[in-house]
Amino acid sequence: MFSRELQVVVACLGSRFGVSLVFPLLQQQLDKSVEFSTPVTSYRSLEEGVFLLRNDFPVYSGGVVHHAPLLVVLMSALGNSALTSLLYACADALIAYQLIAMTRCFPKSKIPAWVPGALYVINPLVLLSSVSKSSVVFTNLAITTALLSAMQKRTLVAAAAIAMAGYLSLYPLLLLVPIFSLLPQEKLKVTFICLIVLSGLLLSSYKINNDDWNYLFSTYGVISTFSKIIPNLGLWWYFFVELFEMFIPFFKAVFNLFVVSCIIPFSLRFHDQPFYAFVLCLGWITLTKSYPTLGDGGFLLSFVPFFQPLYGYFRYSVISTLLFIHVIVLSPIFYHLWVDLGSGNSNFFYAISLVYALAVSTVLVDLVWAMLRIEYDNGTPNLNLKLTSI
Amino acid sequence: MALIEKLQRRIIDLGLLPRLIASLPRLSLVCAMVGICWLTVFIPMEGQYRRTYISENALMPSQAYSYFRETEWNILRGYRTQVQLLQSVGPHQRNEEISAWLQEFGVKTATFVNEEGKETLYGILNAPRGDGTEAMVLAAPWFNGDDEANIGGTALTISLARFFNRWPVWSKNIILVFSEDANATLRSWVEAYHTSLDLTGGSIESAVVLDYPGANDFFKYVEIYYAGLNGELPNLDMVNIAVHITEHEGMKVSLNGIPEEQLDQDDFYSKLKTLMRGVKFMALAGARKVYGNEAFSGWRIQSITLRARGEEGPFDITTFGRIPEAIFRSVNNLLEKFHQSFFFYLLLAPRYFVSIATYLPAAIALSVSFTLASLNNLLNNSYSSASLLSLYNIWGLLALSVALAISYIIAQLLAYAQHPQLLVLSSFVVSFIPILLKNVKIMAPFAYRCRAFAYLYLSIILTSLLVVNFALAFSIGTLAFPMTLVKNSVTSKLRLKNCLLLLLSNPFISIWIFGNLVDDQLGGIQMFYGFISAWKNLGCWTWFIICIGWLPAWLLVAYSSIATSSISIVDESQIEAVKHKKTL
Repeated sequence: MFSRELQVVVACLGSRFGVSLVFPLLQQQLDKSVEFSTPVTSYRSLEEGVFLLRNDFPVYSGGVVHHAPLLVVLMSALGNSALTSLLYACADALIAYQLIAMTRCFPKSKIPAWVPGALYVINPLVLLSSVSKSSVVFTNLAITTALLSAMQKRTLVAAAAIAMAGYLSLYPLLLLVPIFSLLPQEKLKVTFICLIVLSGLLLSSYKINNDDWNYLFSTYGVISTFSKIIPNLGLWWYFFVELFEMFIPFFKAVFNLFVVSCIIPFSLRFHDQPFYAFVLCLGWITLTKSYPTLGDGGFLLSFVPFFQPLYGYFRYSVISTLLFIHVIVLSPIFYHLWVDLGSGNSNFFYAISLVYALAVSTVLVDLVWAMLRIEYDNGTPNLNLKLTSI
Repeated sequence: MALIEKLQRRIIDLGLLPRLIASLPRLSLVCAMVGICWLTVFIPMEGQYRRTYISENALMPSQAYSYFRETEWNILRGYRTQVQLLQSVGPHQRNEEISAWLQEFGVKTATFVNEEGKETLYGILNAPRGDGTEAMVLAAPWFNGDDEANIGGTALTISLARFFNRWPVWSKNIILVFSEDANATLRSWVEAYHTSLDLTGGSIESAVVLDYPGANDFFKYVEIYYAGLNGELPNLDMVNIAVHITEHEGMKVSLNGIPEEQLDQDDFYSKLKTLMRGVKFMALAGARKVYGNEAFSGWRIQSITLRARGEEGPFDITTFGRIPEAIFRSVNNLLEKFHQSFFFYLLLAPRYFVSIATYLPAAIALSVSFTLASLNNLLNNSYSSASLLSLYNIWGLLALSVALAISYIIAQLLAYAQHPQLLVLSSFVVSFIPILLKNVKIMAPFAYRCRAFAYLYLSIILTSLLVVNFALAFSIGTLAFPMTLVKNSVTSKLRLKNCLLLLLSNPFISIWIFGNLVDDQLGGIQMFYGFISAWKNLGCWTWFIICIGWLPAWLLVAYSSIATSSISIVDESQIEAVKHKKTL
């Protein structure tokens, strides 16, 4: 069986790297599409940062770069594009490997260990996201590392990885809460290590950024204040286009509270199924974050295969599949109608991003319902019993 | 909440869901019928359409007095005589001559030569007011879509430019374009204007193409063409002001070339005819005769073609000139872009329209009917319980990707080696696959899954076309519908029926038959050349969509109609699942 798993990882590496090499223009195309690239994750802005850094310009004063300073430094150290493609492919392959390793942590699981990894490899959303060189890949890698290490009770790595994920894109820091239930004995230690690593990262970024804290606003400030109003698949940008100036601070606060709101309830309610709680929280962040991409959605879907015992209880699987397909097909079309042809307007595209939110939330609702049902049935699926959810 | 709970219990008690699943084929048929009837019966009925109105107040069509009158007639006649003389000289010399005339009254001119070596002369009249970042185009192709010399149109354009030049009211630049033809040459100029030309006059807001063939002084009525490529339409306000101005000057308006004797009719059938004519023009744009306004599609330009019809009549050529004059005055008033609300519409008469919300259900119903047909093939057979990752699904997906690859290759091959006869002939042969391959058998679950994927794929294609190109979505949905009635070929009678259905729903045969029935211009095999040249020269996607959207689905259905051998499911995971259920 080992060879099968190795095949999956190699296939992941090969497909990502191969696509980048064979279609070199695809990366730019994808990077221009709003579905796969946002101001805070796009490779274009990362390249801009690399250029500024190499020529000794202040990286963050132009308001173009929103990536963490260490990531910019890493990219500028790598230099040529084939090498960066290889780095992205390796990161993605590592995620696939970690998914396989996670399956091994469930000895009772009926699915073979390589299946979640293989599904991750053939998932077109993840593939395209990786080819577009979106920095989401690194955040996702940090998240899977944290989850896997927490499941294997490696406290140090888990806490450091969560700190890294938070450092890269802020919101994953919230996943510390479900990590607590994975490592119930070491909550203090986890918090402590996480804080130390995070402050270490922030301080070293401060040093790298010529002793200037201005990178904090460009990276985390932009994420939490929604200050770059650029259309994306998220729920919130539209509000800031339409709202009167005076209401905007209030809604900024509300939307941020919204992201935080369900993390603790999910973690408390599903304290006994910490892995499941972690995935739910991840889904919640995917749904409510300020600059989501389809790459986030694809990453979330890669965790669904783990819940094979719950499949019988899923009620919307056909609907969510159709919703995802239609979002993927229609969102570029509606964006084209709005921005290129001018015959449609922003409502067209926002409607599709609402459909995307609906697709993600049907997956979440289905997962929650299925878990509650299996609890009701005391762990043994009883599919003949019909219950209404209302 | 309690109400919904009650409803849900009630639905389960009645066993509604299994019943609905059992009647999926009927539901699919009903949906398609609803879709077709919606457009052809419901919308032309009294009360479903609305009267057009000018949505942007600033336009104020015909509010200012039009001054292009008999005083200009002599100048116009002078230019026309000269233009007639220029018929005998080559394009280059002709353009130089006209360019000299234009420069006389201060128009900056330049010529653009496209890849085929055809010349386009254009000139810019700078706006005396405003910052010159916006422009209006007045175009007159040297030869119109019918290959007639556009003598009146070109002479009129020159004299209008001279007339406009004396006026200080313009706040947008005026661009004059004299292309060799209304087709690829004009299109290549528009493309070059937005990419490579040196002499430019800002972003083009509107374009009016003048088509006045012959050297006659009088004409009878005006035709307005508005359908753009790839389902694009000019803003309804643009069409509205053109109609309003033309009728204000006392002329009759014919939309999309409706014959003169039908212009006065105002009943159900005339509305239906105008509506379906508009749909036809949208769906076949590029493949049919091109009038000139199509060239401006894709750059946010609101463009229409005005065409004078009739050799004699009550109206003189200056009356025709007053239409572009008043349109330019109207567009000149615009401070912002054209209003957002009217880019999606169908016209039932010059003054009647339906907007998107009213006509879209027609195409949605067709798309839904394909989804239902797909679900029918997925659920209504003994293989429905196979799991999501079963071999049949994976094989079905693989077959779909193979069909896609084949279709892509066919589309590319045909664009280079143009042999549509061969294509139609081979489609004809492949349609008889159920009879030809009598002894070959495929497994029944494959057949069902192939069809399910084919219909789902086509449904997604139709959904994605809904808003982009409604007319194409509607036509493909209607013409491809017989495909959904194909069943597994078990008896010889079914086999023959499947052959006929495949023949009817084959993309090439069906558009060939249909094109010959509805359009006198697209006789014989001609339309395939039209589609291919539109794809290559005009950037029109219709041919590609037919090949990539429709053909793969048809190939899959054709494959699935080979005789089947039914098998019992021996999928291991399935057995395991059954066992699992039993132990529970």
